[in-house]
Amino acid sequence: MGLAVEHLTRTYAGPASPFTAVDDLSFDAGGGEIIGLIGPNGAGKTTTLRTLAGILRPTSGRVAIDGHNIVDDSIAAKRRLAFMPDEPHLFEYLTVEEHLRLVARLYAVEDFDRRARALIEELELTGKERSLPGELSRGMRQKVVIACGLVRDATTLLFDEPLTGLDPVGIHRMRETIVARGRAGACVLVSSHLLHMVEEICTRVIIMDHGRKVADGTVAELASRSELAAAGSNLEQIFLRVTGRGTATDS
Amino acid sequence: MVSASLYILACSTKNRIAVRLRRLREPRYLIGAVIAGTYLYFAILRPRVAVARRGRRGGAFPPPTAALIGRFGASLAGAAILLMACLAWMFPGTSSLLSFTEAETDFLQTAPVSRRKLLIHRMMRSQVGLLFAAIVPAFLFVTPGTTSTSAMVLRAIALWITFVTVRLYFAGVTMARARLASADPRARLAAWTPLVLTVAAVAAVGVSFIRAMPAIQPSSFPDVIARAGNATTTGVARVVLWPFQTLLRPLFANGPTAYLAAIPRALLVLLATTAWVLESDGVFQRAGEGPAQMPATEGRRRRVTAPRVRATGWVLALSGRTEMAFMWKNAMQTLRGTNLGSMWGPLVGFFFGVTGFAIAMSANRGLVSGLCLVALVFAGAATLLGPLSVMSDLRGDLRHLELLKTWPVKGAALVRGEMLWPAALLTVLAWFALACGALLSVVAFPMLPAGMRLALWAAASLVVPALVFAQYTIHHAAAVLFPAWIPSDNEARGFDSLGQRLILFGGVLLGLVVMFLPGAIAAGVIGLVFYRLTGSPFVFVPAAAVCLAIVAIEVMLATEALGPLYDRIDLSGVERSESRA
Repeated sequence: MGLAVEHLTRTYAGPASPFTAVDDLSFDAGGGEIIGLIGPNGAGKTTTLRTLAGILRPTSGRVAIDGHNIVDDSIAAKRRLAFMPDEPHLFEYLTVEEHLRLVARLYAVEDFDRRARALIEELELTGKERSLPGELSRGMRQKVVIACGLVRDATTLLFDEPLTGLDPVGIHRMRETIVARGRAGACVLVSSHLLHMVEEICTRVIIMDHGRKVADGTVAELASRSELAAAGSNLEQIFLRVTGRGTATDS
Repeated sequence: MVSASLYILACSTKNRIAVRLRRLREPRYLIGAVIAGTYLYFAILRPRVAVARRGRRGGAFPPPTAALIGRFGASLAGAAILLMACLAWMFPGTSSLLSFTEAETDFLQTAPVSRRKLLIHRMMRSQVGLLFAAIVPAFLFVTPGTTSTSAMVLRAIALWITFVTVRLYFAGVTMARARLASADPRARLAAWTPLVLTVAAVAAVGVSFIRAMPAIQPSSFPDVIARAGNATTTGVARVVLWPFQTLLRPLFANGPTAYLAAIPRALLVLLATTAWVLESDGVFQRAGEGPAQMPATEGRRRRVTAPRVRATGWVLALSGRTEMAFMWKNAMQTLRGTNLGSMWGPLVGFFFGVTGFAIAMSANRGLVSGLCLVALVFAGAATLLGPLSVMSDLRGDLRHLELLKTWPVKGAALVRGEMLWPAALLTVLAWFALACGALLSVVAFPMLPAGMRLALWAAASLVVPALVFAQYTIHHAAAVLFPAWIPSDNEARGFDSLGQRLILFGGVLLGLVVMFLPGAIAAGVIGLVFYRLTGSPFVFVPAAAVCLAIVAIEVMLATEALGPLYDRIDLSGVERSESRA
């Protein structure tokens, strides 16, 4: 159960030459795990998440959510999945409450009213239920997207830069929400550039660079690896060493 | 600031051209460009040559009418512009001249630049579009004797001066209208003065028109032109219309000498309008009407015209078919996203166009005949043109594809659900218009037997949904098969985009013929058999019902086939087209 990624490759066709954004990526994630997906800009994190979410088709390889292939058995896989993108995509003519209602209908959510009320309170959207996206700040729209992802019982949660646009209280609440979902048994994958947050809440870290996985393990495991031991014990130092960005600064 | 504006203008134009040339490496743009070029050759270049040849034999109008148009054209067109100028005060709308892009807002409005210079910058930015808008009709609408390149260049210059003046005027109106209720007396005076002058001018010209049209009806079209022309070139109307006809005089100039004499005066009107706009803006600024209201950015404009929460009385049930969820979503878009205020222009144009056509067609049959024709034309337009323009379906949702693709729904159900609301809406509108037409036809066409009338109405009502749903199915097939070709926001620009739209239009027509052919053949056979058996006009009804049933089956089969194709849509192709367009 959980998330299984096997030899995932995603290539974009281009007018000049094809570009491989994700190259032979493999990993497994079980329930209760909170995995931080980190990497420099252009490392392939967002493409990975979008492929896992079923938005992009893998060029090769296999993605399975709770054993359901995202390509061949997409409806069953997507029913178990919640993807929260970094850019909030909302329908400009549906209110906050109507967005949640639409998602509840599509995912056959039971006990919608109670869940929606709790989420609206948890994400500080109280009083905005009848607002359209155009009347909300970016942070508020981000919270609506997250509420739509959390209103159903997804077993796998994918967050792409979940803290973008949130205020300090929102960031604090979001961290708590992610941890709570992990503790409740969900498999959570969080892509973020905020390394201190990843280090704080994630049980495991995957570092990507140029489309490939370059490190995978807990922060302690990575820090204990012989080739990384000299870098230091915190995630930022490990990240800079693994991606080769910290060499010049260190020296 | 002028040099900075020129720099922005030059770089933007150069880069835009480079991007459009570079994208021709992709087959879809190259094919689009080839098709657009072929179309323009056959639609413009060849007809131009034909007109030039025909010019040796005579003009488009008979000589007396042509002489009258040459004499009164500028003043009559001036009266029309005056009417538009008055309407601009009545209807909501924001001048695009005052709509700063987000980049302009961030870079220029924060720079140490005066507001007047910002306005001048916007005027300069708008010139490329206005030049293009002037060149196209100057080359498109040719008349015998004016097909030489120099004549067309002169016409383009005259049109450009007119367009710039009109756009500036509307910018001034937008600014002034916002200050009509200003607390500052200077701002109020500056806002009300042009409004009062415009209304007074319309009243003066209107009185002249009424006096020129006595009880005796005009005997001919030249007579109408002559009377209206006399009304606009004599007395007070002549004085009132002077700036308007002076502006348009170069367009109606009879030869280079008259043109060269008219151009300086037209430029004078342009300069006066520019001075009025800048001076009004200065007054408003001094009065403390700060830039909090103006100029609006494009982002703010979007928010102003953004949908508002309206109670629709339709709450989505938490269970049921997927199709109904999409139908509800798209209904909310129509109900909340339709801004009647922004539709006044097309609606007024449609109303006058259809009414004029109907009155012309039914001159001898009275008002009821005219209204009957209007209803039938509306029904036809809703059925045949509606699916092309009402895009609250998958085409409009392509920009939300990233979200839709994460939902656990069957592709076929999604495609059906997306088309359900707009198709149902257009069907109901067409049914309503058909019912009005049928009722009015009792008076308008009394010679038609009641049975035949009823049969035709019932048959047409059955064919309407077949036509509408068939078109939506084809549009959705195009959206699923070639998502990158669909302009989701009607903002696709460029020569190649024109070709892409032509290809899509041709494809839709072809698809419609293919989809309708089996139903039409079956309907023909059924109708013939029933007619042989009964001899009744009601044969149209079973024939139309058979046609509808066959098209309905085709729609179901087509949407089922489109489902797996939807699942395979490559989102990266769609995104690339949007970012490069």
